[in-house]
Amino acid sequence: MGKGPEAFDVCVVGSGAAGGVMAKELCEAGAKVVMLEAGHAVPHHEFLSHAWPYELRYRGLRGEKQVPFYQGDVARSIAYSDCDDVTADRVRVVGGRTLHWNAVTLRYAPQDFREWSVQGIEEDWPLTYSELEPYYDRIEQMIGVCGNDDGLDILPAGKHYLPPIPWRCSEHVLHRATNAMGIPLIAVRKAVLTRPFDNRPPCHYCGHCMDGCDVGSIFTTPDCMLPKARATGNFTLRENALAREILLDREGLATGVSFIDTQSRQEQQVKAAIVVVCCSTVESARLLLNSRSPQHPNGLANSNGVVGRYLHGHLGSSISIYLDEFQGRKPFNQDGATDHVYVPRYNQLFGKHDYAGGWGFQVNYSGYMFPFQAHLLPGYGAAFKETVRKMQPGFLSFGTFGKVTSGSENYITVDRSRPDANGIPIPVMRFRFSDNDRALWKAAKQSMTEVCSHMKGRVFESFGSGPRGFASHEVGTIRMGNDPRTSVLNGYCQAREVKNLFVTDGSCFTTSSEKNPTLTIMALSLRAADYITAQRKKGEL
Amino acid sequence: MERRELLKIVALTALSPRLSALQEIACHSGSGSPRAAADAKLQFFTAGENAILDQLMEMIIPADPHSPGAHAANTSLFADLIVSTGDDALKKQWRDGISLMREEASRSSLAEVLQKAAANEADPRTELDRFFILLKRMTVDAYYTSEIGIHKDLAYDGNTYLPGFSGCTHAEHDE
Repeated sequence: MGKGPEAFDVCVVGSGAAGGVMAKELCEAGAKVVMLEAGHAVPHHEFLSHAWPYELRYRGLRGEKQVPFYQGDVARSIAYSDCDDVTADRVRVVGGRTLHWNAVTLRYAPQDFREWSVQGIEEDWPLTYSELEPYYDRIEQMIGVCGNDDGLDILPAGKHYLPPIPWRCSEHVLHRATNAMGIPLIAVRKAVLTRPFDNRPPCHYCGHCMDGCDVGSIFTTPDCMLPKARATGNFTLRENALAREILLDREGLATGVSFIDTQSRQEQQVKAAIVVVCCSTVESARLLLNSRSPQHPNGLANSNGVVGRYLHGHLGSSISIYLDEFQGRKPFNQDGATDHVYVPRYNQLFGKHDYAGGWGFQVNYSGYMFPFQAHLLPGYGAAFKETVRKMQPGFLSFGTFGKVTSGSENYITVDRSRPDANGIPIPVMRFRFSDNDRALWKAAKQSMTEVCSHMKGRVFESFGSGPRGFASHEVGTIRMGNDPRTSVLNGYCQAREVKNLFVTDGSCFTTSSEKNPTLTIMALSLRAADYITAQRKKGEL
Repeated sequence: MERRELLKIVALTALSPRLSALQEIACHSGSGSPRAAADAKLQFFTAGENAILDQLMEMIIPADPHSPGAHAANTSLFADLIVSTGDDALKKQWRDGISLMREEASRSSLAEVLQKAAANEADPRTELDRFFILLKRMTVDAYYTSEIGIHKDLAYDGNTYLPGFSGCTHAEHDE
């Protein structure tokens, strides 16, 4: 008789920001944890972050630097049906998107959890900022966040930040413009180390954050959370393990996960008393929808039809300006750590508007190696070449990250007639921006143009004809909520219909503010981990 | 490039997990340097097409007292690589475009044809206009990702390991 599947206390599916927190916390609390990750690990020495373009076959123009993070057929195995200009960013690698992010870490404000109470739109979350605040404190101190307490109600702060990153010359010029408009410009808060911390070195300011940090100065799950999980002796990582469905017993409780080993294409299983899903918004919904059973014919925990629905994220536009006062200046190294400053939401300072929500600006998140103006300037020849060169030191860019409203008409479903390379039905997205989203986008564009009008330089806008999404910040498909008719999870990320199933990635968000979601994902995961540990101690799970 | 297009391209070049990404991708050291020219073998363009492209690209980004131009940076060879690994529609666009340039130049000169092609850059209407957009974009991409473009022309001094970031030290930038 063969050996049955290995048994664990907890199975965590996904190794990104949420999964890393869950694995570390639950292992340290004594649970035997198996983590299933669809991708494999990429060691630092295989990152291409410092490769020169001319060392790459296609000079980086075909995304070669990010290829290690998009393993297998993940980029191909999704369909877009009836969509505006949106894309789901589905990374597949140990560490998930923590290997491929700019590390901006912002707390939600109290009002961001109360959209219905404050603005009369959407729904309130089933928890408040006050309840999440201790977890924001803990996670910031755990991962190392640089920045300041800026005393802003719209952007609450902790008390234990690493020193902020110094500003570039262009950011001081931007500050003149924001001062003139009466809007704030602050040092960015990022999970980037500005001094040694947690046995990791400080940033070396190469500007390649999005290409993978080859020294561990940016928070990533593999550099920060998994070593701590391993140190407990309670942690097992299964790489190349693409979850196919969550297994249930006759009572409808989760008993483990069936997965496909992507190397052998063989199906395997792990048993677990608790399953925590952390695959990211699209993939988590896909997993639950593909987990059908007699008790859950429409997918796991989906008797109300909400799993997959309320898909949303951020909308964005960008603008760049080549500042006159830097024209022809001797080039100097401005790479830095991409974002050094941030413009927090400010439209609430100027009265009511015909839309709800707001936006923030991320600044200088592109590098300085390639002269983007060369694609935007007319002409050719010696004068063109000289103009491109002289403009380059004056590059300043910023982009809007704007609130998108959540609605049940936007969703992820699965297409059972279209399996991926591993035989698992692919996700299909349906998404259209709302009238509120379009009005907000229009106002954000006008504001970006106004900011540039307070600076002297050549402006190039990249607005397009409509909002674009989701800036890799998609959320909402397995939302928590107060109303069981419109939510799947309670305030502890626990599925109402399956008490030993938890979902703690961005899919659990009730609504989205304009702020980057990762810090909130990690705080929610930390809170859910504490709850699971307490419930296990009581024998409830 | 729109992110959805980038993700499609990434999908097409995704690797087997058994291979080192570095081995597969970063195997063309020096392709943007002058010494690579001697070893280059055209994969799509004919020698005649390459010669025309080389001249056109050098007109778009010429050598000047500050730095070498597109010819020294072998931009036509990079174009050959990109087009040879593109789809049939792309290959046809380039072959037809070069042919059109050659035909027009037979009645005047390449320089005059390029000028004519660039005249409607803001609002391209003809095949010639549209080919100029394609040609210029490729020249820019190839040149500014080459050793010459990055180091000699732009004198970029980043992509290194700094012990700290000094930030702005200029009093005139204080608010």
